[in-house]
Amino acid sequence: MISWSDRFAESIAALRDNRLRTALSVLGIAIGIAAVMIVSTISRGGNHLVFSELETFGLNSVWAYRDWANDSPLERQRNGSGIDSRDVQVISEQREALGIRSLSPIVRHYRNTPARRGAEFANIQLIGANVDYLDIVNDRLIGGRSMMQHDEEQRLAVALVAPEAVTKLFDADENPIGKVIDIDGRRITIIGLLAGKSRDFLSSIGSAGGESANDRVIVPWTYLQRVRGDNEVDHLHMAVQNFDEAASVADEVVGILSRRHAGHFNYTSETMASYIATTDTILGGVAIVGTIAASISLLVGGMGIMNMMGTAVLERTREIGLRMAVGARQQDILLQFLIEAAVISLVGGVIGLLVGAGISVVVVWLTGFPLLPSVVGIVGAMCVSVVVGLLSGLLPARRASRLKPVEALRTD
Amino acid sequence: MIALKRIAKTYAGAVPVPVLHELDLRIATGEFVAIMGPSGSGKSTLLNIIGCLDTFDSGSYQLGQQEVSSLDVDALAALRAERIGFVFQGFNLISRSSAWRNVALPMLYTGTGAKRRRDRAHELLERVGLADRADHLPAKLSGGQQQRVAIARALVNDPSVLVADEPTGSLDSATGHEIMSLFDEMHASGRTIVMVTHENDIAARASRIVTLRDGRIIDDKHKAPSRSLAS
Repeated sequence: MISWSDRFAESIAALRDNRLRTALSVLGIAIGIAAVMIVSTISRGGNHLVFSELETFGLNSVWAYRDWANDSPLERQRNGSGIDSRDVQVISEQREALGIRSLSPIVRHYRNTPARRGAEFANIQLIGANVDYLDIVNDRLIGGRSMMQHDEEQRLAVALVAPEAVTKLFDADENPIGKVIDIDGRRITIIGLLAGKSRDFLSSIGSAGGESANDRVIVPWTYLQRVRGDNEVDHLHMAVQNFDEAASVADEVVGILSRRHAGHFNYTSETMASYIATTDTILGGVAIVGTIAASISLLVGGMGIMNMMGTAVLERTREIGLRMAVGARQQDILLQFLIEAAVISLVGGVIGLLVGAGISVVVVWLTGFPLLPSVVGIVGAMCVSVVVGLLSGLLPARRASRLKPVEALRTD
Repeated sequence: MIALKRIAKTYAGAVPVPVLHELDLRIATGEFVAIMGPSGSGKSTLLNIIGCLDTFDSGSYQLGQQEVSSLDVDALAALRAERIGFVFQGFNLISRSSAWRNVALPMLYTGTGAKRRRDRAHELLERVGLADRADHLPAKLSGGQQQRVAIARALVNDPSVLVADEPTGSLDSATGHEIMSLFDEMHASGRTIVMVTHENDIAARASRIVTLRDGRIIDDKHKAPSRSLAS
């Protein structure tokens, strides 16, 4: 019986004999595999990018705030955020029962607050929050110290500053920690520096609320209340213990606020979970469309192999007859053509992988998506290409193996 | 020994065409038989049945001790590989393979090792006078040389029966007779040869001439052995 190395040698000799056709079939598979790989890279990279940016808001986040839209005309005349320090205390006390991991009241001054640098002013975002805020929004301290209970209780004018705010207010070689800055005419001491975090992609599609994360200056919420001279809170920012319970936790918090201010204010909430669900739907849809497009390309490559093998069987009918006459069994003929198909698809798969990786790198370079090579994806693509090749080769190979030797020898 | 008993074959179709009518033929080991007859007489079908390339509808065919009709396709392939050598009118060489690789082809399917294949192929090419053409592609060889390669291929597994379908049909008469000299040698070495031809002077080289018409043997002439050892 013919040995496997001889089988491969025979198949490869046949492929070499028809270089152009072999090359075209290899190209077809290579394009298909490259397309699958690029789509998967973009899809994975995009997904990762979007989620890493969503993470800058806290994936477990729930926001509760006054709902102006549902106010009656009378209620609308009533000024104020509808949330005060007392509400914060009440909700904070029962947060374990509510399923809230951390809660921070958020007090805003203006949307853009002028900070003085010499004779000039630069706009920063002044945000009043509590000690749990960094944990909720996944902020990381890279210098100095964090906000402490003491700062909150004493309503101290201390600030944590994000990188862009630092560059707006200081020279590159200055150490901002311990420096006093002038924001809106008030002197605030910098105690800590925050790591930068990117919302570039979400900003570029207008989905980051128009705010960069990097020009924030975070001060104790109690300090901003002192400055404003009231005890109001703009909204509540919470992180739930369990991602899946975000909606019900939000409803309960809204319920508490509504009961406490019945007849005065209406409340509503938003959850990161609902944004993530939307994002998943969109990205999943894009991935499906891309995968279908790439799969069609791979399918076309497979049909290329089928066409090539079909032509080869027709052209080599006499050769098949001869091989049978000198002792080739049906399975020997079947395997010869199957190996040819498998070799084409394997070589096409490897080339497609390399080309796909190259194009992926370019895409990553152009878009800033992270490059996430997936071993499963690579092995998967190789398996898919070989399976496509074998399936495409199977039909023509079966036809070849079932030829009657005497009829095969008779063809011209 | 080849023993065909009441072999019948009909080509199925809209109008079934009978090609062999319960034909009986015995060929002793070492005989050199030429099968002649007009086209459509069934001579090629008979040859293909003897070569185990084609099947028959009824009757019995014994090749040596083996009843051929009971074998499945794989067993037939194995039988062809070991017992039968083929020579065709159109040579049927694989154009991408060198002469020696063509000669070695049947040994692939008997699982012969690479070194043995190479040595044996070169040995046979030398025997047919083409030792210096071993690495040439078929396209670089003349028709006579190509048929010599094909004969070397037919002999490579040392078969007991050689089946030849118009082996000189594509060659000029001088080259044809050169090829027939090789047949004479094979005959002399004791091999059974069954050859279809329509050329009288080629058939005359055989020890026995069987003539077919309409699927029946109408004439069966034995010649006194000249150079052969046949009985």
